[in-house]
Amino acid sequence: MSDDGHHILPKATLLKVFGGLIFLTVLTVAVAYVPLGPLAVPVAIGIAATKATLVVLYFMALRYDNPVNALTFTIGIIMVMVFITFTMIDTAFRGDMGNVDRQTMGEIEREQEAAQQQQEQIPSEQLRVAPADYPDDRGADAGAASGDSDS
Amino acid sequence: MATDTDIAPAPTETDHHDHPAHLQHHFVSSEQQFDSAKLGMWLFLITEILLFSAMFVAYAVYRQWHPETFVAASETLNVTMGTINTIVLLTSSLTVALSIHYIQKDEVKKCIYNLGATLVLAGGFMVIKYFEYTSKFEHGAYPGGMFDPHGGHYAQLADVPFASQFFSIYFVMTGIHGLHVIIGMAVIGWVAVRAWMGSFSSEYYTPVELTGLYWHLVDIVWIFLFPMLYLI
Repeated sequence: MSDDGHHILPKATLLKVFGGLIFLTVLTVAVAYVPLGPLAVPVAIGIAATKATLVVLYFMALRYDNPVNALTFTIGIIMVMVFITFTMIDTAFRGDMGNVDRQTMGEIEREQEAAQQQQEQIPSEQLRVAPADYPDDRGADAGAASGDSDS
Repeated sequence: MATDTDIAPAPTETDHHDHPAHLQHHFVSSEQQFDSAKLGMWLFLITEILLFSAMFVAYAVYRQWHPETFVAASETLNVTMGTINTIVLLTSSLTVALSIHYIQKDEVKKCIYNLGATLVLAGGFMVIKYFEYTSKFEHGAYPGGMFDPHGGHYAQLADVPFASQFFSIYFVMTGIHGLHVIIGMAVIGWVAVRAWMGSFSSEYYTPVELTGLYWHLVDIVWIFLFPMLYLI
């Protein structure tokens, strides 16, 4: 039987890849103690993805393998990406989930905006309600009355 | 009549004796049988990846909702034990890759030694995991509704909102990963026994190859779990 289809990975290659994996493990632990702020998560996931790539390409020998296996693996990984991305597009932008009103959030926002604009259009003298709002004269009553007839 | 019976069975008989014992009749060659088995294994590994990806999605969603909780809760995990376990599992991946290397070169004894080393390392991983779990349970860091942290540096978790979410995810993810390690140990043990019985050679080592692929996948899942749960 022919063995030509089977690539035997040299021991040196396996040991080199192993060394790389150990180095990246030490690196990711060391980096965890550096305050990276918002970069901490992408850096950690990036190092993990590099390690996983090394394992897949060399330990699992996908690099030297029948291309159909690489295709199977790649399609699977694309599906995982779709799964994570599309779920997070939903969960990250849901807004106020406690609101069970019939109105859509867009409608509520437009209504609030319209109310605000209306509020801004009313001249300040029409908003006087307390005696303290009428510092000057008795003529203010007339002003309030005319304001009512305007609206 | 006589000529019919003489001719008909003759080719099948020679077919039977011509092909190696491991080659099943519905395959053209050992090469085709090996490739088919390997493609089947990759398809199975993809279903495994999708199984774990559901849990990775749960992690991503809850982390995105409560990032502070995940930062505070992950600090209670033991980074030293996690790092040791990562190195143990990476080493076991190397030994399983070496066992395939040696069986391809017909060095059956070295193949068995490396499978044995993989078993020992996998056992070591589970022992360290056992100590980690028991130290969590001692301090009431259980998953879900039983979450009742107390003592040590776990007491502060009582003030962290949604901290039980982190531990639910931690126990489910590491638990299902641990289950895969145990299944892997059983399969590696079976392959080692068969290698010892002389079932494998450079001509036929499909079970060793496929077990190796499975074991590397278990390693890859841990490669992601370690930074996600322990470091960030």
